Amino acid sequence: MRDLLYAGLVFFSLLVTLQSAHTLYVTLYTWDRPPDEARAPGHFLPPRLSFTVMLPARHEEAVIATTIERVVRANYPANLIQVLVVCSADDDGTIAKAEEQIRELRREGYGNVSVVVFHDKPINKPHGLNAALPNATHDVVTIFDAEDDIHPDIFNVVNTVMETEHVKVVQAGVQLMNFDSSWYSALNVLEYFFWFKSRLHYYARKGAITLGGNTVFFDRALLVRIGGWDETNLTEDADIGLRLSGTGEKIRVVYDDRYVTREETPPTLGQFIKQRTRWSQGFIQTLHKGTWKGLPTRKQRLLAFYTLAFPQFQALLGLYVLFSLVTMFSLKVPVQVALISYLPVGMLVAQFLVSVVGLREFTAAHGLKLTRADLVRLALAWFPYQIVLAYAAGRAVVRQARGINNWEKTAHVGAHRGPAIEPAQNVKEMIDGAA
Amino acid sequence: MAPRDPAIVRPGAAAGTVTPLRRGTPATARLLDAASAAQRSLGRWGLAALAFALVSGLLTHGYHLFTYPLYSTDEGIYVERAWAVIHEDRLSPQTYYYDHAPGGWLQLAVWEFLLPRHFEMFGNPVDSGRVLMLLVHLASVFFLFEIARKLSGGLLAPVIATFLFNFSPLAVFYQRMMLLDNLMVFWVLLSIYLLLLRRTVLFAALWSGLAFGVSVVTKENAIFFAPTIFYLLYRRTKGDPSHRFAMTLWVFAAGAIISAYFLYATLKGELFPPQLDFSLTHQPQGHVSLLYELWYQVHRNQGTLFSPGSFLHTSWLPKDKYLLAGGTAAMLVSLYLGWRDKERNLGFLVAGTLAFEIGLYLARGSVILDFYVIPLIPMFALCIGLVADRALKALAPPVSRVAVAVVPALAAALLLLLPTGGYLLTHDPQTGKLKPNDVYYLPLTYLQQEQIAWIRAHIPPTARIISDDDIWVALHDGSPSYPYDESHFEAASDPAVRNKIFGGSWQNIDYIVLSNGMKQAIILNNTGGQEDYILDALNNHSTEIWQASRGNVHLAIYEVRK
Repeated sequence: MRDLLYAGLVFFSLLVTLQSAHTLYVTLYTWDRPPDEARAPGHFLPPRLSFTVMLPARHEEAVIATTIERVVRANYPANLIQVLVVCSADDDGTIAKAEEQIRELRREGYGNVSVVVFHDKPINKPHGLNAALPNATHDVVTIFDAEDDIHPDIFNVVNTVMETEHVKVVQAGVQLMNFDSSWYSALNVLEYFFWFKSRLHYYARKGAITLGGNTVFFDRALLVRIGGWDETNLTEDADIGLRLSGTGEKIRVVYDDRYVTREETPPTLGQFIKQRTRWSQGFIQTLHKGTWKGLPTRKQRLLAFYTLAFPQFQALLGLYVLFSLVTMFSLKVPVQVALISYLPVGMLVAQFLVSVVGLREFTAAHGLKLTRADLVRLALAWFPYQIVLAYAAGRAVVRQARGINNWEKTAHVGAHRGPAIEPAQNVKEMIDGAA
Repeated sequence: MAPRDPAIVRPGAAAGTVTPLRRGTPATARLLDAASAAQRSLGRWGLAALAFALVSGLLTHGYHLFTYPLYSTDEGIYVERAWAVIHEDRLSPQTYYYDHAPGGWLQLAVWEFLLPRHFEMFGNPVDSGRVLMLLVHLASVFFLFEIARKLSGGLLAPVIATFLFNFSPLAVFYQRMMLLDNLMVFWVLLSIYLLLLRRTVLFAALWSGLAFGVSVVTKENAIFFAPTIFYLLYRRTKGDPSHRFAMTLWVFAAGAIISAYFLYATLKGELFPPQLDFSLTHQPQGHVSLLYELWYQVHRNQGTLFSPGSFLHTSWLPKDKYLLAGGTAAMLVSLYLGWRDKERNLGFLVAGTLAFEIGLYLARGSVILDFYVIPLIPMFALCIGLVADRALKALAPPVSRVAVAVVPALAAALLLLLPTGGYLLTHDPQTGKLKPNDVYYLPLTYLQQEQIAWIRAHIPPTARIISDDDIWVALHDGSPSYPYDESHFEAASDPAVRNKIFGGSWQNIDYIVLSNGMKQAIILNNTGGQEDYILDALNNHSTEIWQASRGNVHLAIYEVRK
């Protein structure tokens, strides 16, 4: 029995170590590639492609007006942008705020914004997007969340990438910004930083990518052809990414610190857990749905399976951490077994060090100030954060097992928003230039 | 700045709060990119030069491998510890007291385990270790060749460096031996090579750090190379987005491997000495301690490298004064050139400081064994290669084209063919006749083989024997096996052997098998009287029953009469 316990300890230690090593690899993947691969183009082509921007919003009265304004005032000809604010019929507050903003913009000569209201169920993001899709008239469809701060040049970036590289799907960077607003925010910010800046590049290169929920750009005809989004899925973005990968469509990821869409971390721990639970459960749903099985090669299927199954592994990891804490103090094991069982600890140290450097890189890239207190907070929050993630993953597993799959919405307070980005001064000139 | 093409719109300037990405190619990458085509691919001549280096390394180190030099005590120690790893699941057949980190003999144990007939694969157990050293040498030749090529941007430096690394009698003598230092050099060169291998170095930094960590737990003095390797990494990534990650990963990887050694001691309860007693006047009472051993090693002092009787004068200079003198001069030139222009002369700075670091280790005045010169050899060879390359190419163009080919060839011919060079041919000290260098000519290990054969033929397996480590595995692993054979060093130093097995009395010894110089070592080692009972047996109660000698090598077997 004791030998069996040792064998199990060794097996799990090696498994966790391998998993951690792989995570470390994809986390840093971009930094081992030539820098130009991930960057946005150095020069922009003249605007040619037109964009339909979908802004799905629910109870976003606080932020929707600013978001609409930022999209409309982007450095791109207004006649090449269509904005659709997508709301369910019961969300009077958001609809009213959006319409108020639309009236104001019309007074300034911007007539390219409208509200799409859907009346049927389910009330969730993918259903709203599908409801709005028939109203999209432009070449490229993109989604921004209601709280997003987009970069004014994001359309120029995507227009240039799509035109020069002849790709039909582009995932641009999304970045949480308020790294110092709560004990967990720095770690949450880093997850986005590494996910969009590095991991997505790896997945795109391997042809098995789970896309993000916003700042993703689709050729409209392609989007219609694959039937839009899966309305039953809590992570419709991951699902559509894998479906597109299954068709062999080349997906380009552009993460350039200068052009990221800025977002905020969930304002409370409860909100954070709900958001993370939704993501984990969405991955489990996508895994069970089997979209990944349609990927062309075994390597791609394996990678997609691994990515989607990770939340369940993470939940298991939480249990393993508890188990190892108990055994650390209660079980006297042979030295060789003990040495192997310390391997995951070593990987944890590596990931922590990478996080510290990542936070430094993030703050440097965005002109933010990193203090020693931030680093101390990061160190103190590190382990509890892993436990919270494991808890959310476990919660997702339980919800899925019990058949609970309602959308737990994340509240937005605009903590990431500083002063408004300077609006384009030369919209008219750009339109004239494009003409 | 206005765009050159009016059709191209410059990115907007709205992101005023965002710091632009740092652009620009790392200085060293520029340096490496600017090198000749040979920098990136070997080419036909490069392949030929590399093949020559590998084949000559195979011949100089492989020929006569099993017969010269004599199996040494240290070779025996590492082979017996590898044997204990495989057969006894321990780091040493006796008490492991952290005299060295165990990485080296763990690697040897893996090698021995993989061999079909394990320790007996090539005859004497030490021979299987020497075959590993041959393979390690060939890999080191490759790494040294590539390091010199990438740092110089041409083929002349690697050809010269690997020639010296392969042909120097000093190198051949020590690099054939199953010693931790040879394994350590392999890992250090690999660590450097990985940093020069690719344009992007992030994960290469991780592997380089791991290799360096392994080098330290193979032989601790590798730590002296850390500043240069880390500086090379710094220069390779300077200005690159991966800079901080690469530096962090290197430190982590190296630290993880090294800390495993400390973790092992901690888990065994042997990190600190009992009662935290670091007194150097007596050994730790109760159990061994890693930190105590480190403390003890740091405080050991045994003359200087430059004293008349030191290994420098008695062993290293007689074997190859040209490499040592030329290497010292080239190191100083490298340091000067590298220090004067760090940006352009990175190769010189790297080679010079590598040689300087290990030179400093040797010259610092602590205990020096003869084979400690091993890590100095490739670093001196690298310095000489780089300096010769720069000097010859600095000549005026028509002269330099000829000089680049003629001067190195002439120097090699002198070293190889003239007895004063001594690389291949020497004068016999007795007869004055021309003969090949001992490393290709003089058989010695047959004496030890005869000694083992005599023991097997005449001494019963149940006998309590004190022998040297160089034949320990042969006596324990061969047939018949001698389970009660103990190494003399352990019989003297390890209380578990001295007091429990032999009871500290000559009457419990049946035979003493003397290796070359062992009696002198017993006398020198007897500062605390721990060898008294062995000397008593040897001087007062035993009879010589077998002996063999050749030149200054004397072996004997004594039977203790009771």
